[in-house]
Amino acid sequence: MVACTRCTRAWPLGTPECGRCGAKLVSRDEHSLQKVWALWVVGLMCYVPANVYPMLKTKQLFTVDESTIIGGAVELAHHGAFGIAAIILVASVVIPLGKFWAVAFLAVSVRQRGGFTSHRRLLMYEVVEYIGRWSMIDIFVVAILSALVQLKGLATISPGPAAFFFALSVIFTMLSAQAFDPRMIWDAQDNDNEAPDHG
Amino acid sequence: MVDTPPTVEIQAARKPRLSGASFIWVIPLLALFVAFGVAWQSYSARGPVIIVGFTDGSGIAAGETKLKYRDIEVGEVEEVSFSEGLAQVDVHIRLHKDIAEYVDASSVFWIVQPEVTAQGVSGLSTVLSGVYIEGSWDNEVGEYADTFKGSDVSPLIKPGESGLQIAFRTTTNGTLTDNAPIMFRGIQVGQVGRAQISRSGAFAITEGLIYEEHRHLISSSTRFWDTSGFSLSVGPTGAEIDFSSLATLIGGGITFDTFVSGGDSASDGEVFEVFSDKEQARNSLFTKSEVDPLRMSIIFDENISGLAVGAAVELSGFRIGSVESLSGIVDFNQFGDSRVRLNVIVSIQPSRLGLPGEATAAAALGLLRDRVTSGLRARLASASLLTGGLKIQLVEVEGATADQMLISKVDLPIMPTTKSETSDAAATVEGVFTRINNLPIEELLNSAINVMNSAEVLMSNGDLQKVPGNVSTLLSDISGIVTSEDVKNIPVALNATLVRVEGLVAELEKQRIAETLGKTLSSAAEAADAVTSSAAGVPELIANIQTVAEKAASLEFDTLIQELTSLTSSAEALISSPETAQLPVALSGALDQLNATLKELREGGAVQNVNQTLASARNAADSIAVSARDLPQVIDRLNTLFVQAGQTIEGYNKGDQLSRAAESALRDIQQAAGALEKLARTIERNPNSLLLGR
Repeated sequence: MVACTRCTRAWPLGTPECGRCGAKLVSRDEHSLQKVWALWVVGLMCYVPANVYPMLKTKQLFTVDESTIIGGAVELAHHGAFGIAAIILVASVVIPLGKFWAVAFLAVSVRQRGGFTSHRRLLMYEVVEYIGRWSMIDIFVVAILSALVQLKGLATISPGPAAFFFALSVIFTMLSAQAFDPRMIWDAQDNDNEAPDHG
Repeated sequence: MVDTPPTVEIQAARKPRLSGASFIWVIPLLALFVAFGVAWQSYSARGPVIIVGFTDGSGIAAGETKLKYRDIEVGEVEEVSFSEGLAQVDVHIRLHKDIAEYVDASSVFWIVQPEVTAQGVSGLSTVLSGVYIEGSWDNEVGEYADTFKGSDVSPLIKPGESGLQIAFRTTTNGTLTDNAPIMFRGIQVGQVGRAQISRSGAFAITEGLIYEEHRHLISSSTRFWDTSGFSLSVGPTGAEIDFSSLATLIGGGITFDTFVSGGDSASDGEVFEVFSDKEQARNSLFTKSEVDPLRMSIIFDENISGLAVGAAVELSGFRIGSVESLSGIVDFNQFGDSRVRLNVIVSIQPSRLGLPGEATAAAALGLLRDRVTSGLRARLASASLLTGGLKIQLVEVEGATADQMLISKVDLPIMPTTKSETSDAAATVEGVFTRINNLPIEELLNSAINVMNSAEVLMSNGDLQKVPGNVSTLLSDISGIVTSEDVKNIPVALNATLVRVEGLVAELEKQRIAETLGKTLSSAAEAADAVTSSAAGVPELIANIQTVAEKAASLEFDTLIQELTSLTSSAEALISSPETAQLPVALSGALDQLNATLKELREGGAVQNVNQTLASARNAADSIAVSARDLPQVIDRLNTLFVQAGQTIEGYNKGDQLSRAAESALRDIQQAAGALEKLARTIERNPNSLLLGR
């Protein structure tokens, strides 16, 4: 039997396509790990300029202020807005980095024995998939700000190059997480379970 | 039949190395490719870094400050650091690649800051945006350089600009203002750079630029003068304030004119003098034939005050030049110690040296050099004992040490000196003090006090105090005379007399006694004459009193008192003189006689002689005709008598005037006394005033 990964209907093994949603049916996506790693690498590559280049360009009368993600958060913290600084740090730094780590961990643990049980890993996978989209909150903030604050001459806010890279990074990590085939978690468990039997 | 489960088509995990690779790997490869592409592009688009050194990096910030060329951004400061030894600030500027090749060794850089000067406001945009670095270079690729020396002010002549580059030198005591505009007919045709003081300190020198389109205005006969400030002149046409513009009034400026035609067009590097005003500039054209003065430096070891700019320079007592400027000088290398010496720059007129041939500065220098080897030395000498001013004498000193005039190319020739012949200033001062000490100040004070005392005695003198009393007595006496009954009676008596005369005349017609009447009338006229003559003395008296009053006003107290006394006495004498006293008596006597005659006529002789009279009636009638002819004459004489009497009375009325004059005389005396008292008080308070006159 093989389940469709999109609409979850089970089909007899060997069915090439899901009769319901038309998705390609495979028992195990052999290229899953490769896809995960490839997209993961691209996501990481994009994450570097996302942090190096400025996220926001704030023009006030005569001064131009460019701030990176972390720089902006630090500045906010300096002004006493610890809550917003924490949100930005969590959404833009902690979550993406955690995702990178989680996806990498899952991809590695499929091949090698990890400390976590399969249930835990599945849970981790679901959390990563769910939480990944929230990383886009930074992009939304930038988009809304630069749309709202366009007072010619007085103050304008425009997105910096980092916004583009950050969005790319989020997209690629989400694709990377989706490319992971969670069934492989159970394969690994089977291997684990079988191994003691065979001795 | 073998019951084997149908073989499930399980796709074997094919393991060929490359074929197992998913197509997905294209994405990271593509990303890498793009990243490297961008990196390489931005790297290759980067221009070179140049280092510009500034003395201070006010407002320069790494990553913010821009480099601009013709106000367009062509680079950015990447790093600001100190040079070795912290001598200057090194600013690392990343140039844009497209202009990098033009930034060659001839480029100049300066910091543009907001500046407010009399000429205007510049760099205003930098107030808010911060300073930027302006670079300037020509539009030709030249020798490569990556290290530059930045200047703090914008250069007068920027590379790539053209114009007539000349230098300005002030005349003695002239001034130059940095960056002053060069105006011509109210238009700025050039600019002066930053002024510097020449090494000798005698004048200021600066470079100047005449813009390319105006360079034809300048020729070798052009004269420049200073238009800064204003001049105020007061003449017969009124006061006149002269200044060329408000900008030059505040910020200074120079202008020029070519007073005479001819003269070669000026070339770069020519030096022009800046005169202090137009007159001097104009005159300089015509005094030019009088050759330039020879300027020398004389260094005195003594540091003596009293030498001023303009002091005479004399050779054998003959003035050959004047002191142009004074300054202190410390030169360890030249003198071997670091004492401050007096450096005097003198200008000598070669024409006054009586040089054979052409009198030039060089010839004068040659002459003086020769004389120096034979002992000519400069020394300070007193010019005036009174003011303590000094002058410079060039004298030949016997047995002088071998010395040469120091002639160098860069500086003025230096004249050797000898010991000065100045009177000791300290001794002079001491002498002055001694003289002041010897002044008989105490005696002076004593005699002043004596003067005061005697003045007081004079004031309190009884005679002086009596003067007003005497005068009033005199006045009351005079008014007594005027108002005396006798005098008042004169007109009454005269009236009565006239009435009688009238009656007599009427009777005469009856009694025909003309002859007697004629006699009587003539005697009455005589009496009246006597009254007139005695009254004539009164105006003289008044005149006398007026004179006295005038003299009293002129404050001659002694004579005043004497004269007043004598006046009083003479007035008294006049009043008590028998003539005056008898005046009314004589009048009444005359009238009495007249009355008696008439009585006699009526009572006595007339009745007795009536027969005779009737007998000689015809004769009498004849005589009456004759006497009737005489009547108008009689009436005339009577008229004259009345006029005289009126005058006499008027004379008495002048007594009022007398009292006024006397009163004013008294006031004058009082004022004089008050002034003396004030003087006495002032001197009591401040005895110094006698010495200082204040």
